[in-house]
Amino acid sequence: MIAIEATKSSPRIVWDEETNTLEISGESYPENSFEFFAPLFEWLQEQLPRLPRLVFRVHIRYMNSSSTKCMLDILDILTERAAEGADISVRWYYDAGNERALDLAEEFREDLEIPFEILPLEPGAPYT
Amino acid sequence: MINLVRLREQFTSEGILIAFNGAFSHSLIEELGNAAKSYLELEQIKPQTIIDVFAVYIEQTQNVKNYSRVRKLRECKRDTALVVISYTGGEYRICSGNYIHGDDVPDLSERLREIESLDKTGLRQLYKKQLRRETPPGATGAGVGLIDMARRAIAPMVYEFHREDDQFQFFTLEARVAGG
Repeated sequence: MIAIEATKSSPRIVWDEETNTLEISGESYPENSFEFFAPLFEWLQEQLPRLPRLVFRVHIRYMNSSSTKCMLDILDILTERAAEGADISVRWYYDAGNERALDLAEEFREDLEIPFEILPLEPGAPYT
Repeated sequence: MINLVRLREQFTSEGILIAFNGAFSHSLIEELGNAAKSYLELEQIKPQTIIDVFAVYIEQTQNVKNYSRVRKLRECKRDTALVVISYTGGEYRICSGNYIHGDDVPDLSERLREIESLDKTGLRQLYKKQLRRETPPGATGAGVGLIDMARRAIAPMVYEFHREDDQFQFFTLEARVAGG
């Protein structure tokens, strides 16, 4: 179980057991990204080995460079679990028309060997 | 009385949207950044431009704040820093200025020279390489902030070191982002 509420500078993180969805949404430029994401890394370490399936749903409009580093580490952990046979997929949302956000998503995708969908959202759509 | 009229004239002539001089805290960075973002949203510019300006601002201010903490600048009464966002000639300029230890100048200059020698493809490769590196324990950043700024900028970043005294230099950094 993990549920972290969003603040102005940090995203909401929530695990939905029924749909096997781990969702991160919001803005991500916390004071200390490594500290902020530490509970999620702990959760992944404890829970991920038992999960046969996980959908990673991401909708972050802006992430700073240290959050980007954390995101890459999360995706690496998920890829390792997929290599063990788990059904892991990524659904990455970005604001349609924002090329920079699309570039970032594609940069993440090109290094990963897991299903990775990049999906446009109406710009300014609320975080869900 | 402080000459606010003159200060305002300078702000206007340089197209300064936001300027802050003082010690940076996380809440201040957040508030100023959101104020700038709200202002840009009213201007109806491209969402990408808003994110680029905001991103450069965040990387600059968080770098300054983290450096100040790691190098204990408050204890030396050197934690006063500047950040300015301006709009002139169809471009946004995001600038920061802060004290750094003279000992740190060679490393920083070397990193900045490497970054300015690279084109967009080279920056992309360096960014990915740096993100893949192990983060040293206790680090608060991934060491990619400068590269991230350079990738969003339309021209090489401009920087200067001004000698303050035997121990400190004042470092200024400016990145230009395309308006529109």
